[in-house]
Amino acid sequence: MYDFDWSSIPGALPFLWEGMKVSLEITLSAVIFGIVWGTALAMMRLSPVKPLAMFAAGYVNLFRAIPLVMVLLWFFLIVPQVLRGAFNLDPNTDVRLTSAMIGFALFESAYYSEIIRAGIQSVPKGQVAAASALGMSYAQAMRLVVLPQAFRNMVPLLLTQAIVLFQDTSLVYVSALADFFGAAYKVGDRDGRLVELLLFAGLVYFLICFAASQLVRRYQKKLNAHVAH
Amino acid sequence: MISIDTVSKHYGSFQVLTDCTTQVKKGEVIVVCGPSGSGKSTLIKCVNGLEPFQSGTITVNGVSVGDPKTNLSKLRAHVGMVFQHFELFPHMSITDNLTIAQEKVLGRNKDEARDKGLKLLDRVGLKAHAAKFPGQLSGGQQQRVAIARALAMDPICMLFDEPTSALDPEMINEVLDVMVELAQEGMTMMCVTHEMGFARKVANRVIFMDKGQIVEDDSKDAFFGAPRSERARQFLAKILQH
Repeated sequence: MYDFDWSSIPGALPFLWEGMKVSLEITLSAVIFGIVWGTALAMMRLSPVKPLAMFAAGYVNLFRAIPLVMVLLWFFLIVPQVLRGAFNLDPNTDVRLTSAMIGFALFESAYYSEIIRAGIQSVPKGQVAAASALGMSYAQAMRLVVLPQAFRNMVPLLLTQAIVLFQDTSLVYVSALADFFGAAYKVGDRDGRLVELLLFAGLVYFLICFAASQLVRRYQKKLNAHVAH
Repeated sequence: MISIDTVSKHYGSFQVLTDCTTQVKKGEVIVVCGPSGSGKSTLIKCVNGLEPFQSGTITVNGVSVGDPKTNLSKLRAHVGMVFQHFELFPHMSITDNLTIAQEKVLGRNKDEARDKGLKLLDRVGLKAHAAKFPGQLSGGQQQRVAIARALAMDPICMLFDEPTSALDPEMINEVLDVMVELAQEGMTMMCVTHEMGFARKVANRVIFMDKGQIVEDDSKDAFFGAPRSERARQFLAKILQH
């Protein structure tokens, strides 16, 4: 019988919290960037301008066909060189976090763009016609009429994707970045208590994600009730 | 006011409109009718450029709709349109539905737009509902709001695309009453509708379409008295049976 020893966890909490902050930072930046860039991609993909539509389709298909781990690894290998070159940084500057953030953001945009595209398409075409008939430009019709409705329908999906994204941040361990998972792994490795630390980390991920999905579910119920009346 | 000259439109090889020609003078009320699929909704949507067409010309108040140099948004801001499915903006209150285009398109200030919107809402008998959302109103009420929304832009003419065909029978009259009142005030109107009672009451002319063509374009009395084409006679017989 394996002898559990949880004693190394309390002392490691500040370090684990630092890791959690890295995880949350990556999640938050990727969600924000993913929604903004994803919206732009979705609008390009739906635009009648062929080259824009093709670029967006190519982007989305490319990123959706590559495993996230590989994207992260490439960004870990390439982006630091690019950043150092572009901003004339000291070779010792730690740009791993920035690389990870950029990698996640670009990767997640492809997924967000698909969610947003479906959201835009869920708004009846007559809404655009009505906005145009009132003299609104295409951009105004999108901004004032279509996107607000699309986003209201999409919020549950966007949040669910954010939860998946939060779990996926653990993959930054490939760049030896101490996110929450990486921090837990380091502590476990140092104290020879890997099993305990990873069980603990798993429990924390579970609690956060489960709580978040419950919140999404509750929001969705409210939304459905609002639409139904 | 509106001049449609030999307009044709096709989707691929499917001909939707063939050489349609007609005029609407200032203050005239024209009713466009015909069996479903005859192209009447397409024709009316060509008038404000919501549907493109391949040949012919349409001018509204002297502006050519099909000309690529025409600023369509500017033209549409002064051509009111009412849709079959109302198309109120569901995420906005009734007041915001009435004011958003006034503010964002015409550049009116908030108070001015609000005053105008509420005055028109009162006119269609719905002042009490200003703070509600479209989903809380009945179909007939939503369509009356949609008419008020179009009127708030001070349109030079109004296009109606089957404004009552998505409504329950008991709500049709409340919408028609508003339209009749508007016609009697001298608004230039082009209405796609099957409501022949409305046509009899206020139309100057009736256009009958079939298979993408204007088959009859006659004064109301001539049309109801003795339609010239067999197709129009059949259509009238069918529609007047119930």
